Amino acid sequence: MSALALLALGLALSAPDWEADVDVRLVSSEGQRSVTDGGLGTLRYDDSQSGLRLGRARFAVSQTFAQVWSAHFDASYWGDRDRNPIDLTEAYLQFRPYPFDGGYRFRLRAGAFYAPISLENRSAGWESPYTLSYSAINTWLEQELRTIGAEGQIDWLGTRTGHAFDLALMGGVFGWNDPAGVVIANRGFSLSDRQTTLFGRVGATRSGPLQPMELFGEIDHRAGFYTGVEARYFDRVVVRALHYDNRGDPTIYDEATENFAWNTRFNAAGVRAESGGGWTVIAQYLDGETAVQPAGGYRDWHFRARYGMVSREAGHHRISVRYDSFVVEGTQNGHAWTAAYVFQPENHWRFTLEWLRVISDVEKRPFYLGIAPNATETQVQLAARFALGPAAR
Amino acid sequence: MRAYSAILLLYGLLQSANAWADGLLAAVQTSNGRPLPGAVILVHPLAGNSQPGAAVNAVMDQVNRTFVPDILVIPVGSTVAFPNSDSVSHQIYSFSPARRFQLPLYRGKPYPPVVFDQAGIVTLGCNIHDSMLAYVLVTDAPYFGRTDATGSWSVDLPPGAYRVTVWQPRMQESPEQEVSVSQSGRTEIHVRLTKALRPAPLESRHSWDTY
Repeated sequence: MSALALLALGLALSAPDWEADVDVRLVSSEGQRSVTDGGLGTLRYDDSQSGLRLGRARFAVSQTFAQVWSAHFDASYWGDRDRNPIDLTEAYLQFRPYPFDGGYRFRLRAGAFYAPISLENRSAGWESPYTLSYSAINTWLEQELRTIGAEGQIDWLGTRTGHAFDLALMGGVFGWNDPAGVVIANRGFSLSDRQTTLFGRVGATRSGPLQPMELFGEIDHRAGFYTGVEARYFDRVVVRALHYDNRGDPTIYDEATENFAWNTRFNAAGVRAESGGGWTVIAQYLDGETAVQPAGGYRDWHFRARYGMVSREAGHHRISVRYDSFVVEGTQNGHAWTAAYVFQPENHWRFTLEWLRVISDVEKRPFYLGIAPNATETQVQLAARFALGPAAR
Repeated sequence: MRAYSAILLLYGLLQSANAWADGLLAAVQTSNGRPLPGAVILVHPLAGNSQPGAAVNAVMDQVNRTFVPDILVIPVGSTVAFPNSDSVSHQIYSFSPARRFQLPLYRGKPYPPVVFDQAGIVTLGCNIHDSMLAYVLVTDAPYFGRTDATGSWSVDLPPGAYRVTVWQPRMQESPEQEVSVSQSGRTEIHVRLTKALRPAPLESRHSWDTY
């Protein structure tokens, strides 16, 4: 009798988990026109965008079926003039069976999602609980990269069998990300939280001096891949390393999107440690290169970025300070300081005050904009976010 | 529960105190001398057939993506209900040899309690929230309990010889000691761990931790 009831329960679809949030900001910016607006600035908002802005309006839904399958959709409106007002940042199907004896578990994701690299973008919607603006590394990831394909992961849950560690090996195979590299090669790193949507463009929101670009297209019909490892020491320390290669054929040019298949490869590594006293320390490093080979000849760009962040949480309050440094050889070099205070009085409301200063040297500024290559850009944001839904906290 | 050959530092053992109470008091200290609250003490008689404690109907709740309590100690044959008090779904599993089970994705209290009929440590997890971790210690010991805030636990025992075992998931050793409880006076054992405890789970469990 109870077995029958269990069976019926398992067959029925559970109610979906959904969440919705709206993030409104008071912005004061002394920044140049940003990369996402077609400029060469390194912030999300430029000096003409000071005032009241919509940071993000988001709706996400997760539906589980047959117990171990689930579908996830994450849609956002960013308050700017991208091609589609509302568009997806992630959409994928996940297979997550139960662990079996010995603590092994297999996971599979298929669709469009973020590769497991960032150690700061750990909240719903791939947001950071520490700051509004992501580090240079993770801003680049959200601007140019998305796994559109499949990812498998094997976990060894050692902490369930009396050990101190959990381990995971992961690998992804993807397509539709051949233009990845064009933004970093031409414009360099920036610090923003404006995630490129699956059907949107970078630099499309206003008519800037540089052309808008589509990032999620297949040009050379060659699949890319990544392989990574993750180790966890209880719930205190996470270490990640990943090698990425989109295996782009840099000789192939696509007339429709006016872009090459950029050949982009990088290694990324990071560590996050948390203490019982509310301290969190995060460091990430990324080192890679991207190349194109037009008829005139081969050209490649080497890029490196790193950041270190210290954060302290006490009750409903959190203070975080981050230092970024980044270089794209022949294009840009710079560094940035970010300081943020987060106040979360209860589950629905979160208030963030962030100060961000980026000092950068961008080679193309004189050529495209007739201004000095070096710039100091400062942005202060006060954000109020209201979240709804059973999973919104 | 299996006891490994533990390196055990015992001091001041078998103190016969004044006869204000019979029985046993066990006090547990960490390697740096602090009292260890919440440690599980199991007491088995060395001679004769001992009956396990009477079976109970226990509850392992889930609140703010954390199991409550962190450890349940129950006699063999007991049941445990797993209500979910969170607004998000959980999917509870164990692959421990003493009791393998899975509770498919649920909210509220849809399932009948799970029966634990074999002694051993059962490690619980949630397949959706990997940070959730708790233990059910199923024991055939007739006497058991957990140390209080001062790191001690006491029990009334008939005179005789007993094996006392100490367990806590953060311990890196399995102390075990034989004691004899006399007719008059209280027997005390003091266990001081030789190795540092593993780190405690983080207290502020972040519900926003989804990636």
